Amino acid sequence: MDPNETPQCRRNLEALQAKAAEKRREKEAAPVPVIHIGSATCGIAAGALDTRQAFQEALAERGIEARIHTVGCVGHCYAEPVVIIDHPDSGFPPIFYHEVTPGKARMLVKLFLEQGDPRFEHIYGATIENDMIPWVQEFPRFSMEHRLVMDRCGRIDPEDIFEYLDDGGYAALAAALETEPSDIVAEIGAAGLRGRGGAGFPTAKKWSFAAATDGEKFVICNADEGDPGAYMDRTILESNPHQVLEGLAICAYAVGASRAMVYVRAEYPLAVRIVTRAIEQARSEGILGESVLGSGFRLDMEVFQGSGAFVCGEETALIRSMEGFRGMPVHRPPYPVEAGLFGRPTVINNVKTLASVPPILENGAEAYRSVGTADSPGTAIFSVVGDVVHPGLVEIPMGTTLRTLIYDVCGGIAKKKSFRAVQIGGPSGGCLPESFLDTPIDFDSLIEAGAMMGSGGMVVMSEDSCVVNVCRYFLEFTQKESCGRCTFCRIGTRHMLEILNRLTCGEAVEEDLERLENLAHDIREGSLCGLGKTAPNPVLTSLRYFREEYEAHVREGRCPGMMCRPLIAYYIELDKCARGCDACVGCCPTDAVFTTSTRKKGIDLELCVKCGECMVACPPEYDAVRKISPAHLAPVVERSPKRDKEAKDKA
Amino acid sequence: MEEKLTPEESAILEELRQSIRGDDSQRSRLIPILQKVQERLGYLPPEAVKMVADHLAVPLSEVYSVATFYNQFRFHPPGKYPIKVCMGTACHVRGGEIILENFERKLEIKEGETTEDREFSIERVACVGCCALAPVALVGETVHGHMAPSKVEGLFTRIQVQKEIEEKRRKKDGSE
Amino acid sequence: MTVTLTVDGKALQAEAGSNLLEVCLENGITVPNLCHLPGLEPPPAACRLCFVELEGIDAPVTSCTVPVSDGMVVHTDTDRVRRLQRSALRFLLSVHDVDCKNCHANHHCALQDLARFLKVGLKPRGLSIILKEPEVDDDHPFIRHYPNRCVLCERCLRTCHDRHGHSPLALSGRGFDTVIRCFADTPEDAQPCQSCAACVDVCPVGALVLKTG
Repeated sequence: MDPNETPQCRRNLEALQAKAAEKRREKEAAPVPVIHIGSATCGIAAGALDTRQAFQEALAERGIEARIHTVGCVGHCYAEPVVIIDHPDSGFPPIFYHEVTPGKARMLVKLFLEQGDPRFEHIYGATIENDMIPWVQEFPRFSMEHRLVMDRCGRIDPEDIFEYLDDGGYAALAAALETEPSDIVAEIGAAGLRGRGGAGFPTAKKWSFAAATDGEKFVICNADEGDPGAYMDRTILESNPHQVLEGLAICAYAVGASRAMVYVRAEYPLAVRIVTRAIEQARSEGILGESVLGSGFRLDMEVFQGSGAFVCGEETALIRSMEGFRGMPVHRPPYPVEAGLFGRPTVINNVKTLASVPPILENGAEAYRSVGTADSPGTAIFSVVGDVVHPGLVEIPMGTTLRTLIYDVCGGIAKKKSFRAVQIGGPSGGCLPESFLDTPIDFDSLIEAGAMMGSGGMVVMSEDSCVVNVCRYFLEFTQKESCGRCTFCRIGTRHMLEILNRLTCGEAVEEDLERLENLAHDIREGSLCGLGKTAPNPVLTSLRYFREEYEAHVREGRCPGMMCRPLIAYYIELDKCARGCDACVGCCPTDAVFTTSTRKKGIDLELCVKCGECMVACPPEYDAVRKISPAHLAPVVERSPKRDKEAKDKA
Repeated sequence: MEEKLTPEESAILEELRQSIRGDDSQRSRLIPILQKVQERLGYLPPEAVKMVADHLAVPLSEVYSVATFYNQFRFHPPGKYPIKVCMGTACHVRGGEIILENFERKLEIKEGETTEDREFSIERVACVGCCALAPVALVGETVHGHMAPSKVEGLFTRIQVQKEIEEKRRKKDGSE
Repeated sequence: MTVTLTVDGKALQAEAGSNLLEVCLENGITVPNLCHLPGLEPPPAACRLCFVELEGIDAPVTSCTVPVSDGMVVHTDTDRVRRLQRSALRFLLSVHDVDCKNCHANHHCALQDLARFLKVGLKPRGLSIILKEPEVDDDHPFIRHYPNRCVLCERCLRTCHDRHGHSPLALSGRGFDTVIRCFADTPEDAQPCQSCAACVDVCPVGALVLKTG
């Protein structure tokens, strides 16, 4: 590269930054309150668009000037829709409101924006330190997180490149373009960045293999997030796409690729739209295209929509699908860095890996290493679901223990239940018991424990969940998603599922447990690709740590978590049931609840589908509906022939 | 069961035929073009698959081979009200299966099927990302959280009422 | 370059980088396999039968994906290898319609040979038998396909592609439901099949049959 040309990148970036600052000043010219609304898929699902409309209408009705700012997701799923109101004239700091329904929105416009009362009872916290309202950083859900990748998520408008630029975005790319590619790879290596796609392969190693090759190369951002319980990649793309694009551009420059692709699942329409738009914006501002930021480095970027096959998260399958074939994995080697897309060297990195790249280059490898552990530096992102008080996305330093994550960051087990298990890593991960709660979360410790980082899905199970049932769920998933090429995965997982089905129906026999274990071992050893090799993990770990639960299913027909429906029964405690209350009768979808001769209620076990609706409907002052396992322990309540006849006559 | 294309569908197919003519005919365009077709038609009728095969000069068997591999592609038209039940991990733990069964019982079809009047179809989908609202079901694009069997009933009542209102409005518009 | 490797204690000479499975077979060492087709690279490594153990590598590997190198020490008959091979064969048999006397491949069926070699019964104990519907795919004018005999080795597909560049045979569906479908766009497309029928010849199990009359 011509040394005289290099300052050009920085000059171009500075010009863009000036433009961004100008746009910000324009927006802020009128000192009006700002309403930030989290509008990623999760927010929209929780009703963010209705909330937004309510704000707009209420503002118009009352003639109040305020600016609505659409932002991405902050990851606090339990609190959606999330709204932050910045109303400096009121004397209050910016306030974080949770679960803002349209009604709440209208109320806030009237009482807070118009009359200056922030309604303390609805406040979650303030986003800055102050002496009036608790600062959100005082809550463990915020203070224990360390946001490196998700820092800008929920702060900036994902559809406006200038907000990203104004927040310091693309500075790492501009600086990188003035650096030798090999130095970038070395810096990433020094930072010890490991691939966030699950396996934790050193990113710099992958890059250096590709950098050492000649000719046309490709770089691909793998956003084919397939784990049914993980959605951090989507959230990042929907909330801060440019950080991912910046990481991808740096990667392309470092390995010498001139074409980059973002492989996003078609099931993520909002992410597809936002990324497509982000690429267009970057192109029109000269950040992508013929000469990236005027450096002379050419980079084209495009979006490829994945068509819904979990196995396409596997590199070789992903490549096959981009080439227009069935997404079936092929044997490695050759690895994609040697022969990938269209036979050319191809680097494939996960969304989180790429989003980690700009902060590393900006703050240096040393700063990155100061977070996390020696072998797994940086942060880990988990989508924590299940029975915790504060489910959602969390970004924590590697090395944080599971206990801290579950009990401190996520608020512990919901409804004051006790902990039973945590399933980490989704369909390829493992199921760990309480004794492992002090395991630090990093690539190697989790593998040692039998789980894996995987996609970052985490299911916390309370005493009311069944480990066998959840493992059956994951296995059913992988079995469905098997590509069907190799014998072990195609047929073996099906046999495992048959046994698990028998277990959850109470039809299994003692030998089935050993069979299941043997099948699991063979499939792990014999399968062609990562999907098959890891598919037995949930079963293997749960057989190791929760064998007594499997045995309860086999020997007693009992489901300890009372989740396997064939093994449970509902009944009504006649002592508690109140005469004349028809709550359970009304809600039963199959008319299984009947009135006894004493005008109390009974459940016809033949008709009951065990949906549990009656248990929910029964007023707490009676609390008469019970769940029991094994099913035959439920007391039988006879239908009254007379009443039945009356009911029939009526009908 | 072979469905005939409706006149509307035939018109869309003709439009698509014109529009993909300008598209690249490389093999790697296969999936994007199928996606484009399905986006417009809602499914891949045999006529459309044939059209794509001809455009890319790929045997029909290959196009089917690829299309049947991916969850996204469907070969039967979806219902007017497509019901999607989330089967993500959180929804499973909270009883997503029960919700699915309720829809199936109510509509007397299985997941992946469409009612005969083409009004409803049921599908299971992977995590839609509102785990805190689990279990979740979608009718069209609208998310319904904290689903329960009684809410399934409620949903149908609501759809019925909506339909009646539309019907009345249409009649009124017609008479004016 | 010729290299020396040791297989089951026997020193063998082979071209560096050549396919380990082929080297073994050429030297009369039996390594069970179904999806391998000499000369058609790369192998799909789908049947998972040709496992061997290599010294220095802690898990069995499929020999069809191993390029031969100098000093390589190979064991084809270890407990771990046999266990995986038996397991794979039992899986294949658990989805196989074992009706040998009515199958035209009887006496020259790869599954029978494998079962004999690995000492596995044709009815896999402890596994349920899961068969597909329909039993026969009659869509092709000249070739009949029996999905419940097929082992999905893809040999027919690869042979056809190799000869004709495209094929009326294709994989359809995914996962457990994957089947070979034979359909021709038009009767003219199927015409070459009548005289070729190479797919029928390479099928190891009699899943493809030429229609007669």
